[in-house]
Amino acid sequence: MISRRSMLGGGAAIAALLHAGVASARIRPQDMAALVGPGFKPTERDEMGLWKEMDRAEEEIAGSNLLIQDPRLTGYLKHLIGTVGGPAAQDFRIYLAHIPDFNAMMFPSGFAVVFTGLLLRMRNEAQLAGVIAHESGHFLRRHMIRSWRDQKRKTDIFAVGAMLAGVGGAGAGVYLGDYVQLAQLGTLLSLFRYSRAMEAEADAMGAKLIAETGYPPMEMASIWEQLIGEETATARYRGKNRRRGSLFDTHPSEGSRLVDLRADAAELTVPGNAYDAGRVRYLSMINGIRPMLLDDQVKLNDPGGSQYLIETLAQDGWNGLLRFYEGEVWRLRNRPGDQLRASQSYAVAVVYPDAPADAWRWHGISLMKQGRTTEAKAAFARYLTMKPDAPDAAWVRQMAG
Amino acid sequence: MDWKPAVAAVLAASFATSACVQTKQYADLQFTPPQGDYKLLVLRPDVTVGSLTTGGMVEPRADWTDQARASIVDALKAQQASHGGKVTIIERRTELPGVTPQELADVERLNGAVAESIVVHKYLGDYLPTKRGKGLDWTLGQDAVRLGQKTGYDYALFMHAEDQVASGGRIALGVIGLAGCVVGFCAPNVGGAEQLDYASLVDLRTGEVVWFNVVIASSQAPGIKFGDLRTPQGATQMVERLLGRMRPGDAVRRPSSPKESR
Amino acid sequence: MRFPVVLSAAVALSGCSSLGSGEYGFSSYGLVRVERVRVGDGQMTVVAPRYYNRHRRILFSDVSDVEDWTLNGPILDGISFVSGMKNNRELVRQRHSADQQVPRFRSDMTPPEITAMLESLYRVKGGAVQLNTLSLQPRLFLGANGFQWDYEHLDTDELWRKGRAVGAVIDGKLYLILMDAARSHYYDATLPDFESIVASAQRNG
Repeated sequence: MISRRSMLGGGAAIAALLHAGVASARIRPQDMAALVGPGFKPTERDEMGLWKEMDRAEEEIAGSNLLIQDPRLTGYLKHLIGTVGGPAAQDFRIYLAHIPDFNAMMFPSGFAVVFTGLLLRMRNEAQLAGVIAHESGHFLRRHMIRSWRDQKRKTDIFAVGAMLAGVGGAGAGVYLGDYVQLAQLGTLLSLFRYSRAMEAEADAMGAKLIAETGYPPMEMASIWEQLIGEETATARYRGKNRRRGSLFDTHPSEGSRLVDLRADAAELTVPGNAYDAGRVRYLSMINGIRPMLLDDQVKLNDPGGSQYLIETLAQDGWNGLLRFYEGEVWRLRNRPGDQLRASQSYAVAVVYPDAPADAWRWHGISLMKQGRTTEAKAAFARYLTMKPDAPDAAWVRQMAG
Repeated sequence: MDWKPAVAAVLAASFATSACVQTKQYADLQFTPPQGDYKLLVLRPDVTVGSLTTGGMVEPRADWTDQARASIVDALKAQQASHGGKVTIIERRTELPGVTPQELADVERLNGAVAESIVVHKYLGDYLPTKRGKGLDWTLGQDAVRLGQKTGYDYALFMHAEDQVASGGRIALGVIGLAGCVVGFCAPNVGGAEQLDYASLVDLRTGEVVWFNVVIASSQAPGIKFGDLRTPQGATQMVERLLGRMRPGDAVRRPSSPKESR
Repeated sequence: MRFPVVLSAAVALSGCSSLGSGEYGFSSYGLVRVERVRVGDGQMTVVAPRYYNRHRRILFSDVSDVEDWTLNGPILDGISFVSGMKNNRELVRQRHSADQQVPRFRSDMTPPEITAMLESLYRVKGGAVQLNTLSLQPRLFLGANGFQWDYEHLDTDELWRKGRAVGAVIDGKLYLILMDAARSHYYDATLPDFESIVASAQRNG
């Protein structure tokens, strides 16, 4: 599982490990062989029981109205997992849930759920394929049943205690924010917390799978780098120090996941090979929902994280959409000086030909608040021209006089 | 404002450590248990049987769950037939002619929120003053009425049965929408609630939830054996406990002094 | 505007009696009668068209100028009051180190900014994954030029809910009455009560 929270949890565990003076050796991609073949079905009792539960879970998830059903997008995800899914590629199912968090998970019976928050954060197809390959790695290495059996071996108190800690603590990897769980699966998911070793296996396996498909292996490391950057930015904005126990902050060298991933990538990269990260293809796929993805993120009012994300995406070029949402971050943060910052972003956004109608509306509102009535009215008029059936047209018309 | 209350302690947890069978039903004041020639639709009964491991975890058992489901379906049909009812049990949202899976899902989702409200405000003690002494006073509204009109059923029954409760919250109660676990408060098999069943009956002619019942049985209770739901006897006993003693509403029983159904 | 209602104390009962705790004993709701009542911190009064359930104040967990009512329980329906909230105050208590936060109210906010603040409340605290504005229009409220916002949202319990907020900023303070209910049945059932309550609203000092 990949999520912001599981990252930190895993970090805490490994930091403790390092503190105890134990250094774990890197798991090398070439050692990662799939443990299941095509058409795998469980034969042992406990795994069969688990699959039965998962069938019901999948039925619930497949019928959830939180799923994005756009056939172009779901077809794209299906295509990706069918490409980087290794021997089980054709057996996997994949669902896209409309939840604005960085999260992707693989269920024991071979279906994956990807959150829309992941699509916002990926900069190219290679990164998305990397996350999907990582999740496939959990399945191909049979991590779910292994961690399940591992949990079962532990004593009463520990099992219950671990469960409580697991669900409650950051280590759960089941972060649905303040959201209620997707089809009530949080508890089930918490049973499949992976050990650091399993995450390392999935990383190595994922890197191997995307390299074999022809994606630049280094993108796997870039995902984590971006994630760490976002976490740090979020924490800093809220006046928190970098979280203690986060490996990436306190142990940036030996043994870190990021370093391992970079080493994997270096090992897998064949000099002279022409790798394609698929940025153009990726953007053309998600362009239609990008305004929604940005909207979902920015309205959570996490200014540090949102600003980091927007600037990361803008590394591929600023546009009207990104400038508008940069302004929205300031406006919602609303600290002294932010109104001015927001108004500047809106003013810049509307210069771009791709500025969304909402940029004109907010441009108008901020001009009006500055007493620049004539300009404000022009901006409102432009908004109404672009979006004649805007739901707030009645209010805007009153403002436009 | 409408925040789904995070019910930190859920049914199973609150009934822990009691060595007995508990059951408590609420009914609409005007409720008369279905009798005679009625048509009952049972929507996707949720049945799970697991085995308790030494570590305190519940391991789902696919074979036992299948047996239990079959036994319960048989017991349910027999039990309702004894009242004259015709029962249809559907397992999937696609199985109801004339109703799209989406329409059915919407009814189930609303029922989930209503059932959660009933549990919070009737069973967990956070009662609503306006509903005191009014029996069961919730509705699924026109969505349920439309379901009745499209299918010709008189009642819909939502039912959940779990032997060897697999979790304190999400799995046990989540299915009917009692998504009560806030993150951090879901332990598996809290205490000894070995069997947890609940059911709600909706009158599809009015949309009203007319009857709701919860049964909790712990392993120490006589006659309850773990995995019991797999056997015809165990399933019959459970269906009898849950649905067999359906009592009419207070206005029907004691028209002179309306009081809470107990 | 009240988030997790923790009931652990109310249900920490043991033995066979637990299923019978029923309707007696402590509840977090009090009765609202059909008479003029003060809401929030008392700067606004309203008359309910029928008996309602008012969420009791819980020390430290409440914002004094916000009050919540319900008829069938907050999962299904609710009416909330904001009674003259001052500049720089918040609709809900939140940890200031939390990653995601509901924006503070500012006296110079325009209606779109107020509705954006409410939208963040739903998204940050209410589990909304999708929220659509159905309309934003001018409306008189408490004799002042205010607004009416209609919206609907899909929450992670897979239920669509629908709401209406009527509000105005008067002397730099926010006055608002808001209803939010399951879109199926409960919205339509609550709307007439809401409109009657809005019509009855008066400012108090």
